[in-house]
Amino acid sequence: MKYYRSMVLISNDPQSMVQGAQEIFDCIKAEVKKHNLEDEISIAMASDISRMDISPVVIVYPEAVVYGPVKVEDVPFLVEEHLYKGRIATRLQAPKKALSGPIAWLSTREGSLPAEQRIVLERAGIIDPESIDDYIIHEGYRALGKVLSEMKPADVIATIKESGLRGRGGAGFPTGTKWGFVAGAKGDKKYVVCNADESEPGTFKDRLILEGDPHSIIEALIIASYAVGADEGYIYVRGEYELAQSRLKAAIQQAKEYGILGKNIFGSNHSFELHVHAGAGAYICGEETALLESIEGKRGEPRPRPPYPTTEGLWGKPTLINNVETLANIPAIIRHGAKWFRSFGTPSSPGTKVYTILGNVNKTGLVEVPMGITLREVISIYAKGMKNGISFKLAQTGGSSGSIIPASLQDTPMDYDSYSKAGVSLGSGALLICNEEICVVDLAKVLMKFFKFESCGKCNPCRIGNIRALQTLDRISEGLGTEADIETLQMISKNLYEMSNCGLGQTSGAPLRDIINHFRAEVDAHIKLKVCPAGICAMSGQSNLYNN
Amino acid sequence: MVNVTIDDKKVEVPAGTTVLNAARKAGVEIPTLCDHPQLTPYGGCRLCLVEVEGARTLQPSCTMPVSDNMVVHTDTPKTREARKFVLSMIFSERNHFCPYCQVSGGDCELQNAAYAEDMTHWPLQPNWQPYPVDASHPFIIIENNRCILCRRCVRACGELVGNFTLGIEERGSNSKLIADLGTPLGESSCIGCGTCVQVCPTGAMIDRWSAYQGRETEVETTKTTCVGCSVGCGLDVLTRDNRLVRIEGDWDVEANKGLLCEVGRFDPMEEDRERILTPMVRKDGALKAATWDDAYEAIASKLGEKKSIAGFISTRLPIESMYFFKQLFKDGLKAKTTTIVNGNSKSTMNLAAEAFLAATYDDVKNADCVVVVDEDITKEHQVISFFVKRNLPNGSKLITVTNGEDGLDTFAHVTIKNDDLCEGIKSIENQAKAVEILKASDSIVIIFGGHAAECSDCSKVLIDLAKKYHAKLFNTYDGANGKAAAIFGLVEKVDLKNADAAYIALGDEKVSQTFMKSLENIPFMVVQSSFNSSLTAKADVVLPAFTWLEQDGHYMNLDGKLTSAKAALNAPEDVAGNTAILKNIADKLGVKVTEDWQAAIQ
Amino acid sequence: MAKPKVASDWLCSCAGCHMSLLDIDDRIVKLVELVDLRSTPITDLKHPDESGVDVGILEGGINNTYNEEVAKMMRKRAKILIALGDCAVFGGVPAMRNLFTIDETLQRAYVDTESTDSNGLIPNSPELATMTRVRALQEVVPVDIFIPGCPPDADIIFYALSELAQGRIPELKNENLMWN
Repeated sequence: MKYYRSMVLISNDPQSMVQGAQEIFDCIKAEVKKHNLEDEISIAMASDISRMDISPVVIVYPEAVVYGPVKVEDVPFLVEEHLYKGRIATRLQAPKKALSGPIAWLSTREGSLPAEQRIVLERAGIIDPESIDDYIIHEGYRALGKVLSEMKPADVIATIKESGLRGRGGAGFPTGTKWGFVAGAKGDKKYVVCNADESEPGTFKDRLILEGDPHSIIEALIIASYAVGADEGYIYVRGEYELAQSRLKAAIQQAKEYGILGKNIFGSNHSFELHVHAGAGAYICGEETALLESIEGKRGEPRPRPPYPTTEGLWGKPTLINNVETLANIPAIIRHGAKWFRSFGTPSSPGTKVYTILGNVNKTGLVEVPMGITLREVISIYAKGMKNGISFKLAQTGGSSGSIIPASLQDTPMDYDSYSKAGVSLGSGALLICNEEICVVDLAKVLMKFFKFESCGKCNPCRIGNIRALQTLDRISEGLGTEADIETLQMISKNLYEMSNCGLGQTSGAPLRDIINHFRAEVDAHIKLKVCPAGICAMSGQSNLYNN
Repeated sequence: MVNVTIDDKKVEVPAGTTVLNAARKAGVEIPTLCDHPQLTPYGGCRLCLVEVEGARTLQPSCTMPVSDNMVVHTDTPKTREARKFVLSMIFSERNHFCPYCQVSGGDCELQNAAYAEDMTHWPLQPNWQPYPVDASHPFIIIENNRCILCRRCVRACGELVGNFTLGIEERGSNSKLIADLGTPLGESSCIGCGTCVQVCPTGAMIDRWSAYQGRETEVETTKTTCVGCSVGCGLDVLTRDNRLVRIEGDWDVEANKGLLCEVGRFDPMEEDRERILTPMVRKDGALKAATWDDAYEAIASKLGEKKSIAGFISTRLPIESMYFFKQLFKDGLKAKTTTIVNGNSKSTMNLAAEAFLAATYDDVKNADCVVVVDEDITKEHQVISFFVKRNLPNGSKLITVTNGEDGLDTFAHVTIKNDDLCEGIKSIENQAKAVEILKASDSIVIIFGGHAAECSDCSKVLIDLAKKYHAKLFNTYDGANGKAAAIFGLVEKVDLKNADAAYIALGDEKVSQTFMKSLENIPFMVVQSSFNSSLTAKADVVLPAFTWLEQDGHYMNLDGKLTSAKAALNAPEDVAGNTAILKNIADKLGVKVTEDWQAAIQ
Repeated sequence: MAKPKVASDWLCSCAGCHMSLLDIDDRIVKLVELVDLRSTPITDLKHPDESGVDVGILEGGINNTYNEEVAKMMRKRAKILIALGDCAVFGGVPAMRNLFTIDETLQRAYVDTESTDSNGLIPNSPELATMTRVRALQEVVPVDIFIPGCPPDADIIFYALSELAQGRIPELKNENLMWN
């Protein structure tokens, strides 16, 4: 394999492409060639860096200098200065102040943040995601080698159980236990499935892992397949993640060429086939049983449970389904051992969690921190405080299906147990942080609109309950609410939880319950005084939502 | 076996039973909407939610399997509230104003469920979003405003019929029942079997002919057997004031388990032929109304002196009629006899082929590979085609051998077309893919009919093929009682050139042009028929007979099982039963006949 | 004990429920012995007593601003309010108008209808009540007792009224609930 002196990454998100990222890529290539540096410098397109303000972005490693916005005319100067002469082309450097885009890792690399700890994102942004060699240099596939050569399947499961890793998709089910169920299930064929249908609004952690470090998921899936005795696997990728899909496909191809996927991996008896399956844009297909239906080519509707996928999953066979972030922890746990993993986080929820921070804060973006830090820490340290100093009102965790967390709970440690004791849920890791200027009725309306649209329509409480709740909220927000409406909302919320078939339906009523429990006075103001305290709701006296 | 306690009643059921079925066994009633005994549990309506001790939330009893020592409560404040919530939600979703619906007043499962919960009103107002009514199909109307999206029809269309025409478009509150990709039902791939109408719990799918003509409480139901083909489907015939209202499949009959095809369910509703109400005898070249005595006299005097009589009998007539017909014509008058569907073209039917290789309905239903030879079962034996088609998504394989277009072509894994059928059947073994399928299959059934059933060469090839791959053979006899006719030997070659008389026990069968043409030069012709036709117009004596809905009798289905038909309607005055007519003629001619058909059919 | 006062009125409906009320036949005599029948649309007194009545019966949905006034007045003056018939309980046949806009409905009723000649005109006098979306009674005022049916069976109306006359809240369930 080859070693390079420098690596150049060019952003290739749609906006950068429009602004000529491809030309820049070609131009850099040509310039590098002109200076006879092809053997020393690797050039790659990088994933969406989400720095819209400075795109197209060019990043040069190992110095990690960020240039942007770069124009094609700048390229010869840049190449000559930085790559040939070895001086940072300060003229083209992105302004330091602008380094607070949605992706925080560019600036967090400096290590200025106290608790930042990388396990699942350890390679994202550091290696060339399209190069298996780069992955292998960074300790890649070492865990797989260890598993196949030194460990029995039962040992692998024992290690995962010991590590205390819990599913990062939202429910927090112990991963080792799930693996044990599948390993113990009877079946002539078993499957492992990676749930990469990351469709919770505001969550993009899986995307970064898939785009930045696709081989880690492949490695984890092979380890999982060995542990549970499966020989075929699927990665169900959200349809919109085209780059992730193409990178995964390329990575699978490379792994096949290296003998890491296919028959008799590393000369062992273990064989594994892996497929990438693109979703078609339905939120519900992130629900594991609906995801299985979708892979089978059917309508994405959740199945009744029991039977659980661990005994009757894909095509009726025992199936292991894990979230991307869960899987990304596996190679590190195997490499360093369960004890090492337990040294992060809290005793009941070891390890780290990737959060996507959004909303009215000074710095939005992605951080990976140990389990158990508090919301107040997230806001004050990672998010650099509330925007414009307007005080914190609530946080919405885990995309739409999470909980509304009022300010009173901001000192609760963010781990699965503490949150469930407080009656809220951590969800997938999106943190929508809202200040006093938002209206809870309006927020609930937005969420219910989402659920109304994304409910699969299979079971009555969810299909009809969500639209009824939306209509009721709409009436309240237009100043037509009555006292009975609160009862209606409470009834719908309670019954959605009690009666729905899947997680979507069960959690879709949570915002209704939360706004009434935590923000009753504000809702009452809408109904009794016909006033929206935040001044958001129209209060027009006319509801236009009644007929749709 | 596991022990379950449901509402303080202990019951022992096999593991894997659903809570709903266990409750039924324990005698506990749980209301349901989307559940149907013939369909896979779906768990969509959430009306059957029960409290299971230890469970976090309410559980749907229709999908929840029992576990040992499970304790279930079906009637608690929580479940009652849940049911009321579900019903309020459904009623508020679309236009469910009962007074204007075809099924209101006892036939609507939604309305009945609401009565059972003592609902006087629902607290949420209806959505008032209008949906179009799809009335493009000749038999079926989709009224989306009444639809509760329980997907019974969707499941029936796929799981039972294997046609996958119905589906749901969009998702969430925009879900809507559609055919194919949203095409009007009349232009869709619908085959008009009407199973969807039969399973619909509300008035969302209704059939055009019987809508608003009588609720279940206002009609009489007669269980009988369909005579449309040889499958022998069980029917519930619904009548009101001696008028046919609707035909439904009988869920309890083993052969069809409630399934029917267009021919069985809807075609009888369209009967518009003119009924013959009195016997007629030809006098001075014209048919004149006569008494029964005159008619019998005319037959007895003429028929007794004829040398070469050709006898035709409809396979739609019961075994009783057939047995008399056999004794009277084949044995008594030494006539050449055959069935009308057989015409006079077919002569052999290889009965030997089946004795040891015969497949039953269960074999067809459970086969993992089906070979269909010279028989478009999607037209002639539709319910059999449902059995075949519905297994295809589960991985069963299909091979067809025909000499023309076939309804299964688009479904088949291997299609072989050959004008020479014998060659076609032989060439199965030349097709690598077909051989691969046959070798990999455990239970193969070869369905054959038409030419393959008559030609001894074909039969031989088929038997060899069956033996080689351990397959079973399934002969689809033409006509309802085709198998009985074959057993009675009523499938002879009839020489019409030298015949000097013909007796046609037509019943209510429709006759083809070719059949009529072949009878043109017969000097003396008696037709026993329910309806006027160009054949009765040519007859010398016409005897008015019962239709299939007016007569009792027995039929033999393809499984070799006897099925019974019961009269659902009363015939007009002066019209006689097919069996009685044949008996009277035998008496007049002095031919001794017995009624012991059971012994003869064995 | 003084006889309970009963008042009734009809809103957007066909008067069929009141006809069904009359279908209790001679039992009405018995009923009159038990109750003090005040205003009804078919008697001289048109509005419930200002001093209040015990039972108010309303037939029909809310179709315009005048209906709203009547319903609110009845609610104000009656201790117990009964929604009588499907239109009052759910909106009924008139509510099918909600599938169209009010303009479309007026156009259809006054201009496009087959029996109108070319001079059809939509009434627009300011004195007329304004048309609204058709609503069930409970969408405008709280309702105590629902008697569904199109029309409700005479026996059920009698049962409900006689129960009320005897100081009991009628329980509508099982066979009393069937409407056709």
